[in-house]
Amino acid sequence: MASTETARKRPLDGVRVIDLTKIVAGPNATRMLATMGAEVIRVEWHDDRALDLLRGVRPLAPGGEADSVNRSGLFNNINAGKYGITLNMNLPQGRDLFKRLVAGSSVLCENYSPQQMERWGLAYDVLSEINPGLIYMQITGMGKSGTYNGYLSVGPTAQALSGLTHMSGFPEPMPPAGWGYSYLDHSTGYYGAILVLAALLRRRRTGRGCYIDLSQTEVGLMVSGTATLEAQVTGQPTERHGNRMQAADWAPHGAYPCRGTDEWIAIAIQNDDQWKALITEIGAPEWGRDGRFAGGAGRKANEDELDRLMAEATRNAERYELMNRLQQRGVPAVALQKADDRCERDPQLKARGYFVPLPHSEIGTWNIEGFPAKFDKIPADVGGLPHRGAPMMGEDNDAVYRNVLGLTSEEIATLREDWVI
Amino acid sequence: MNTAAVLSSALAGTVLLECGGEHGEFAGMLLASLGAEVIKLEGPRGSNSRRLGPYTTSERGPEHSLCFSRYNLGKKSVSLDIDHPAAREALARLAVRADVIIDSGEAVDVARRLQFYRDMQKANPRLVVCTITPCGLDGPYRDLKMTDLTHLALGGVMASCGYDPQADGVYDTPPIAPEMWQAYHIAGEYAVISITAALNFRELTGEGDCIDLSIHEAVSTCTEVAIPTYIYNGAVVRRQTGRHAAEGRTRPWLRRTKDGRYVKAFLFWGGRDVRVITEMLNEAGIEHDLESESYRELHKRSPSEAQTHFSAMIDKLVASMTAEEVFHRAQAKGLLWASVRRPEENIEDPHFQARGTFQPIHHPELGRDLNYPVSVATDGHDRVTAFTRGAPRLGEHTQEVLSQAGLAAADIASLAAQGAL
Repeated sequence: MASTETARKRPLDGVRVIDLTKIVAGPNATRMLATMGAEVIRVEWHDDRALDLLRGVRPLAPGGEADSVNRSGLFNNINAGKYGITLNMNLPQGRDLFKRLVAGSSVLCENYSPQQMERWGLAYDVLSEINPGLIYMQITGMGKSGTYNGYLSVGPTAQALSGLTHMSGFPEPMPPAGWGYSYLDHSTGYYGAILVLAALLRRRRTGRGCYIDLSQTEVGLMVSGTATLEAQVTGQPTERHGNRMQAADWAPHGAYPCRGTDEWIAIAIQNDDQWKALITEIGAPEWGRDGRFAGGAGRKANEDELDRLMAEATRNAERYELMNRLQQRGVPAVALQKADDRCERDPQLKARGYFVPLPHSEIGTWNIEGFPAKFDKIPADVGGLPHRGAPMMGEDNDAVYRNVLGLTSEEIATLREDWVI
Repeated sequence: MNTAAVLSSALAGTVLLECGGEHGEFAGMLLASLGAEVIKLEGPRGSNSRRLGPYTTSERGPEHSLCFSRYNLGKKSVSLDIDHPAAREALARLAVRADVIIDSGEAVDVARRLQFYRDMQKANPRLVVCTITPCGLDGPYRDLKMTDLTHLALGGVMASCGYDPQADGVYDTPPIAPEMWQAYHIAGEYAVISITAALNFRELTGEGDCIDLSIHEAVSTCTEVAIPTYIYNGAVVRRQTGRHAAEGRTRPWLRRTKDGRYVKAFLFWGGRDVRVITEMLNEAGIEHDLESESYRELHKRSPSEAQTHFSAMIDKLVASMTAEEVFHRAQAKGLLWASVRRPEENIEDPHFQARGTFQPIHHPELGRDLNYPVSVATDGHDRVTAFTRGAPRLGEHTQEVLSQAGLAAADIASLAAQGAL
């Protein structure tokens, strides 16, 4: 276990991150850095063009003032562990303060529209003059360099372009099912954290900063599996396969209906042993005598019929009960869980302490989704240095402007009156 | 190949041993792109992924799997069977000079090997060990049999992905698991965050760490608004075709184009979107009534009906152009729309060519190169990460790596004779 001296240390002790990000992709990257102990300072502003839309996104914590920008549950989840300040970047005075913040920081993460930082005169060449060791990560939908550098994007845009939307769902003539949320906001956040953590390692060794132009669409391509390769080998366009496995003769392989409304069990049979166990458990011995289903190749070739039989066999089963019975026989089978199941029923998430209750200054204490790994020594705390949920708008103005920039209370009051902070 | 990429030196000199199954291969590959020397200990039969398709030719040998070559770029292969009793000495010699060990697979197997790794940490206190298992190393679900599909079901991704219900609100299609290996992508990204964080921690403390990563928890963190919607509002989001799952029904985003493809064309319903789309209809010469008094009246009387009518006009606009025309024209007007591409359609796109998104890797069995998606970021000019080699042949580096670890030729021959190589 950890020695007493290192038990309190965190990987990013002494690393200050200026977080000029919005929505989910950028904030998710800085969330990881906060979890690892960085001092993450979110820089925000009130007016409609600058305001992080996520602050208004439902679900909202019940009660409170209707026009409060501090009640979004998603914002609280994604921005836990950070400090928050307000700063009017449209004023020269605001940009001067921003430069002073950058001068004293290790990392700047930013995901405004691609040209915004140039419009403010705050491109990397300017900021690296102020702070040569700065790691500046800019996240855009397509990537800042290249021919689409003026194009705009949100998660679903990048999912469409990269191929991820196309690759999800049943084959034509069904349309793509796509992703039911902005998967690439999550993944791009993970990549953003990875690249900054790597850049910090490089900086520890060389003292040098760098500029990172991270593209959400390219993240989509990185996680498009083997599709681009297969298309080059076969010359055939990538198709969708529903829930079926294309990389091996695994069948049945899908989601099958269970008792109740829209309840399902997911089953993936990888070999003959699992197949025999499945037959025994769901009481369909005739399947074992049906020559069509002998061996993986046979089951794969007759998957339509197999899926029909499976759906009949599972329809009246309770999904968790069937999951338990099949798992006891070594069959990969699980209840298809919705959010309520994960929050209320999933014993594993509960046992591992997945949900972390964290206080929020306006809406009280709420469960936040935790970090999915346990460390012997590193205290990976989604509550970050302040050990709380997301900051209220400008919650830490006094502390940050006083402690980080050394401003006096009078100077802070004047900046507030002048609508700079 | 670009070996001067800014972050491909971040982990230079870092030796990583990758043991176990396919769950950890993506993580190892990402770390190789950051400059780590990744040594894959895959046993004489080779990794499971060597037996997963698609394949480069009609042969099914270990050197023909695109699944293996995609997830093992930049690594070295040693055919050491780490579970063979005779392999312990060789493994100890490798571990004592290693910086990181990744081990993945079923918890029962990984936990058995973990004690050995912990013993190695006594000899090599700077060693970082990361285990990647289906549900983590403890808890009631520790020993569940899992696959990519069952992870996406248990972790909540599938519940948000799929098709609209019928008009009566009842679903007639199952939830969908987006292809492919997304559970392992998510877990791999978290593994790399954890490992690079631990390497930062090691720079501060001189100490390694031990990381217990749960794929189930990793997937669970990646469902955006689903969990907050339940926690804050007690509601469960419902899946919809090609757009975000939501509590209530929302308007479609996918629209058919003249060339039979799809675009993702969504609206924020601001005045700007309405003006821009009206402009596009005019430019395309499509008759519409959006500027008429009757439409304005409809909008006043029934905004919902007006939106339905407006949406039908967008369908008409989209249907008059190819998917690529819609994408570029909409983006030129500042709309966040994109064509629903197949992933391979990006290979020839000048934008991604300019950014070096794809890297050609030679396949001797094909006598040609295949373009792999390898990069998610540039430094403004070149990609920031790079692979110095493609995937290894089975055991390609056995002699080289074991010799460097201090094994004599006779020792290596003995290992082979005992079946440990």
